[in-house]
Amino acid sequence: MSKEKYIKPPSRKSITILIVCIVTGFIIGYSYNLSKDKQKITSPYLDQAESYREELIHQQERNKELTEELNEIQTKIRDYEKSFATDEKEFENLLLEAEKLRLMLGEIPAMGPGIRITLNDSEYDPNNSNPNDYIVHESHIFKVINELKISGAEAIAINGQRLKTNSYISCTGPVITIDGKQYPAPFVIEAVGNPEVLNSSLQIVGGVFDQLLNDQIVVTIEQSGHIVMPSVNDNQS
Amino acid sequence: MWLPFLGLILGLAFGILTDIQIPSMYENYLSIAVLAALDTLFGGIRAYLQQVYDDKVFISGFFFNIALAAGLAFLGVHIGVDLYLAAIFAFGVRLFQNIAVIRRIMIQKWDERRIKKSEKTVE
Repeated sequence: MSKEKYIKPPSRKSITILIVCIVTGFIIGYSYNLSKDKQKITSPYLDQAESYREELIHQQERNKELTEELNEIQTKIRDYEKSFATDEKEFENLLLEAEKLRLMLGEIPAMGPGIRITLNDSEYDPNNSNPNDYIVHESHIFKVINELKISGAEAIAINGQRLKTNSYISCTGPVITIDGKQYPAPFVIEAVGNPEVLNSSLQIVGGVFDQLLNDQIVVTIEQSGHIVMPSVNDNQS
Repeated sequence: MWLPFLGLILGLAFGILTDIQIPSMYENYLSIAVLAALDTLFGGIRAYLQQVYDDKVFISGFFFNIALAAGLAFLGVHIGVDLYLAAIFAFGVRLFQNIAVIRRIMIQKWDERRIKKSEKTVE
């Protein structure tokens, strides 16, 4: 109990007590150290929470930015839509153009002002033994059609047979065959277009009209305010 | 009397200075070891004050208690039951009992001393 008793002899008893105390102290100190470390470990968790909060704030700011961007884009889209409304007019124009192209392809019936050319064999001339000299050949028709096309005819029909872009015309004796259908003279070539232009281009000096007259063909050119011709599909049968 | 405290401080210093990291799954063992050590320490003090102190009992109790507690915690971890709670409970109860006994003895001694003093003054 007294001081001297412990201090004087470092007896076996005191040494064991010392060892036990050291061990206890070591354990306590070690666990204290460990808990301190754990606090260090938990402090990163706090930091993490902090960082998460910061991240959240950052994300919210980003959201705000993105929302503004979205609004901007939406206004842009609205602008586009507005311009699209004007584009729609252009679209209508395109539609008209498409209609025109269809007209040229002959997919729809054509009507409007135009010209009607009638080619007929000339009267039988007993002096001329060769009948080829006075009948209408497909070459004459070609000439007329080419001239009409060059001068801007929108649609051409021969004897009511609408010409396609890939129509063929061939001479089969006294008649001509257009897309497999035979037509005898007289040949009535109808063309929709500007009648003045078509007429003047045909009757140009030394032009188709003169050439036809030279070939002893009876040609009548007639301007018409209203020419109606069927579509290609109508006379397919 | 100061030797144990010296040892305690030495041990504390060692423990704080060591920088060994143990996996967090073994922290239960450490807490139990702390409790067992404290329990044995206070038990030893109590035994000393009650004059029933025995060297062998103290030493064997110290290490055996720590080993038992660690073993119990180990078993508990492996069978999925928190058996280390039992050790903590047992050691905690004993710790408080030991400290209570020590306190009572201290108070008794203090009272005796005061009575003696008063007797002296009376005389």
